[in-house]
Amino acid sequence: MEEELQRLVATARQEAAGIDDAAQLEEFRVRYLGRKGILSGILRGLGNLPAADKPRMGALANEAKAAIEALHAEKNAGLGHDCGQIRRGPDLSLPGRCSAHGRPHPISRVMRETCEIFAAMGFDIAEGPNVELDYYNFEALNIPAHHPARDMHDTFYITDSLLLRTHTSPMQARIMEGQQPPLRVVAPGQVYRCDSDITHTPMFHQVEGFLVDEQVSFADLKGVLALFVNKMFGSGVGLRFRPSFFPFTEPSAEVDIACVICGGKGCRVCKKTGWLEILGSGMINPAVFEKVGYDPKRYSGFAFGLGIERIAMLSYGIDDIRQFYENDLRFLSQF
Amino acid sequence: MKFTLNWLRDYVAASGCDAAKISDILTMLGLEVDSAEALYEHLAPLRTGRIISAEKHPDADKLQVCQVKIGDERHTIVCGAPNARAGLAVVVALPGATLPGDVKIKKAKVRGVESAGMICSERELGLSHDHSGIMELPDDLTDGQVFIDAMGLRDTMVEVELTPNRPDCASVIGIAREVAGKLGESLRLPTVAMPTNPGVNSFHVDIEAPELCPRYAARLIKNVRIGPSPWWLRRRLLAVGLRPINNVVDVTNYVMMEYGQPLHAFDFETLADRRIVVRASRDGERQFVTLDGNQRTLDAQSLLICDGEKPVALAGVMGGLNSEVTEKTAHVLLESACFAPVSIRKTARLLGLSSDASWRFERGVDIGNGVTALNRAAMLLSEVADGEAEPGWLDVYPGKKEPLCIEMSAGRTSNLIGVAFSPEEVAKLLDGIGIGCEQIDADTLRVWPPSFRVDLEREADLIEEVARLHGYDRIPARLPMVALSYPNQESDRIKRLRAAEIMVSSGWHEAINYSFTTSKFADMLSLAEGDSRRRVVRLRNPLSEDMDCLRTMLLPGLLENIRHNISYQTTSLKLFEIGKVFLPNAPDRQPDENMRLCGVLTGNRHEGAPPLHFPAQAVDMFDAGGAVEFLLKEMAILCGGAGGLRTIHPTSDGIEPFVEPESALLFFVGDTLLGKAGMIKAATLRAFAIKQAVCFFALDFNAICALSTQKPRFTPLPNYPAVTRDIAMLVKEGVAAGEMVESVRQSGEKLIESVALFDVFRGDSLPSGTKSVAISITYRSSSKTLTEKNIEKIHDKIVRLLAETYDGSLR
Repeated sequence: MEEELQRLVATARQEAAGIDDAAQLEEFRVRYLGRKGILSGILRGLGNLPAADKPRMGALANEAKAAIEALHAEKNAGLGHDCGQIRRGPDLSLPGRCSAHGRPHPISRVMRETCEIFAAMGFDIAEGPNVELDYYNFEALNIPAHHPARDMHDTFYITDSLLLRTHTSPMQARIMEGQQPPLRVVAPGQVYRCDSDITHTPMFHQVEGFLVDEQVSFADLKGVLALFVNKMFGSGVGLRFRPSFFPFTEPSAEVDIACVICGGKGCRVCKKTGWLEILGSGMINPAVFEKVGYDPKRYSGFAFGLGIERIAMLSYGIDDIRQFYENDLRFLSQF
Repeated sequence: MKFTLNWLRDYVAASGCDAAKISDILTMLGLEVDSAEALYEHLAPLRTGRIISAEKHPDADKLQVCQVKIGDERHTIVCGAPNARAGLAVVVALPGATLPGDVKIKKAKVRGVESAGMICSERELGLSHDHSGIMELPDDLTDGQVFIDAMGLRDTMVEVELTPNRPDCASVIGIAREVAGKLGESLRLPTVAMPTNPGVNSFHVDIEAPELCPRYAARLIKNVRIGPSPWWLRRRLLAVGLRPINNVVDVTNYVMMEYGQPLHAFDFETLADRRIVVRASRDGERQFVTLDGNQRTLDAQSLLICDGEKPVALAGVMGGLNSEVTEKTAHVLLESACFAPVSIRKTARLLGLSSDASWRFERGVDIGNGVTALNRAAMLLSEVADGEAEPGWLDVYPGKKEPLCIEMSAGRTSNLIGVAFSPEEVAKLLDGIGIGCEQIDADTLRVWPPSFRVDLEREADLIEEVARLHGYDRIPARLPMVALSYPNQESDRIKRLRAAEIMVSSGWHEAINYSFTTSKFADMLSLAEGDSRRRVVRLRNPLSEDMDCLRTMLLPGLLENIRHNISYQTTSLKLFEIGKVFLPNAPDRQPDENMRLCGVLTGNRHEGAPPLHFPAQAVDMFDAGGAVEFLLKEMAILCGGAGGLRTIHPTSDGIEPFVEPESALLFFVGDTLLGKAGMIKAATLRAFAIKQAVCFFALDFNAICALSTQKPRFTPLPNYPAVTRDIAMLVKEGVAAGEMVESVRQSGEKLIESVALFDVFRGDSLPSGTKSVAISITYRSSSKTLTEKNIEKIHDKIVRLLAETYDGSLR
């Protein structure tokens, strides 16, 4: 009897070693440990033993049962299944209890990030009116009436002298009129042009920036904007300054970054040029300084205007600018 | 501005520069290349051939069977063209080739004769509309060559997007000058014979408006033979998108593209008194038919070119039908003028008519080059139209000015660019693009901007030229040395950002809507006739009726957002917007731009949270009220509990016309009305095509910003325990439970630490028309442990107060 029990445990150990799925393990359990299993049979058979042997044999049989149960439990843990065993405690696969939260609009987010980068460089943040005087939007920026440069701005007019600002640049004149250099300012806000298609909405957002002091150079402009691009798009993004024309800056530059979609190899988004235009900039035209009463011989400065939608589209891979203003929750909840 | 590389190479060799290199040079000079496309590539499979014999088709009168030699090969091709004849050099499409219009050439039997290909006409090649016969190639062309190479068609069209300051580059020579300057090559200008001018007697030019026409030159070309231009001329015009018309018009267009000088050709016979008069339009001359056949209505400022009797052209914009060059024209008067940009721009705007000429005049045409362009055109007309130019010409030049001279400092140039330049280096760069200068001292240059550079007016303009030619990419990037200062910003902006953060963290999504709205919104919201929000700032030129004025409320935009979202199956929303509204002032004064915060909510209160823990519940007014309370607390406008915020449930005054009256709320802090909330009326929702309940709140954000924020004050932690007593009082249904709580708070009892409403119960066990309001009061003393006895009196007093004030009874 004693030997029989030892053999039984040995056989069970061998069998258990060969088990590799839950079904086999269950069969093992039924055969050895089940109600009609081998061990139950042995324990029932104890009654037929002489009374003197009963306690010892009973203890041995229970030891064998415990050993086989241990084999089963070990295997069960190894297979990682509960195999019919009931888990105790709460079902932690259920979701945590967390109330719903919202999202900031992607334009707000990018606008804020942009302002924070410049604020960290010591730029003040100022805001101005959306309904602007023709004077600040154009005249003060060296764009007289009937200048062809007005063609670059599809302007919404309210009266002859009132309009929706077409850019945030009027803030240059407004701030310079009221303050003396040195100046370091960014001015975020809405701007408007009468244009609407897949790449234009009649309202969009810009961040204007300018710095005026003695001895400010184009090299400084490049340095500040390169730092901004590094912070916004990550260091190592290619950057290109290209001559352009804005009546209120001279020299003027457009700034392109290496296409974030194709990495500069050329694709549909960058029109196969490998470059994406992200902002306009330049050294403030002395004519603008003269309008606000600064001495252009003493002061120089640079200015730039960033298109926030453009930066958001590139950052997040958004392909249709109109989506920003539909306020579709499926869109808003992605940012 | 379009040009082709071959055309460009007439004036600058740029050897070793392919299309990509030229494009890069131009873009980095500020002449941004929009596109560069290889021309005629689709004609590459075509070959030159020679017809050896052409015999009548045995079975068709109009067809010929041609033997065509193409190098070493012979092909039999059936051809229907009347001009097919032995010895003719032709262009052949062999089987397998594809012609424009997706015409695939295959071997075919034409009335029983095998034909292996096609001899092509110009129209079949897409080169012109000529389909009168097959294209006749020059006689000396060898057969068997690739057609586009043999004809010099292999070329690249480049399109440059010009900035408004560079009209000089609206010409192939202007672009070539830039390339030459950058590459250090010389510019090769066309040779134009400029004999001494004996003057003329055959016609007169009078300028009556010299301020609008500073220069007018003209020359008579006699006995022109009007006809199609030769192939080289048509080819170039086609490549840059100009339609060939006849040899005279084509020459004027060619010279315009070459020099940037718009020219006009008049039929000389149509000019009364052989006279040109340049003047403003007169009363009774307001109607004019331009050569495109359209009737135009002018105004008093329109500058006209007239003959002795009548207008014959809109100066600088378009010629007149009455003096147009036609097939019958024998003598041509060529005009090469310079007009004041603003005048041309006004006329072009007035008429909505922008031409290649007006585009250039608006930006500024080279006043110094008119006569050269005139004589270049005269020379070409004699070449392509057998014209005989009169020996002399007229050049009326009332606007002649001293050339501008600008002093330029190499030091200032270096400082502004951030790169050290010597005066010699500056002079060399400027000289490369035809800007003459002279050094007058160790730092200073005297610079004479050439007449074609109308944009160069002051030193800064010249500094840009130096930076541009040096190359922006070679300027270093460095950070400016500036005095340290703390970045200031308006406190309202900080509060706005904070408010948005609070809303987002409590489950609201931020929306941004256009500042425009439709003026119909006021009716959709049933605003009263006298409601100030009906007074809007109107746009003079709106994009559409839906965006014809500036918003005076944020709500309509957000309701529109709800409608949009529901149509895409998003039926549970909490949206807020912080944005400007525009309240009109006197005309020509800027409107007030006030900041508002508005929220709308609909559907399931817990959307987005796990439904297992947060079962769906419909939003109600308590969500709107709670959002406002939370916002004001988090913004530190309210401190401690909700103390300070008064929520009024108005009965008549202050109820918005679009709100269900029983759900209207007003929010006050002190005496300041901060905003309103409510459930939107079903009728209003219908106007916005929304079919489910919507709550909103709208706050005056400027008013919120004007309130002072509360800095927390520390209260010492209590040393003695509190005693809490509950009151359950039966009151009538109409009693406001919140007012009961407020009464307890206002009771003035010092031992009351806090009051909370914890249940409002209605049920069958209560008499009908009543409810039970349960209030918990916490008492505490700062000096001792309270006993039942201590508070008994006070508590009874409170119970009595409530019972008397609200006609209630203890349950």
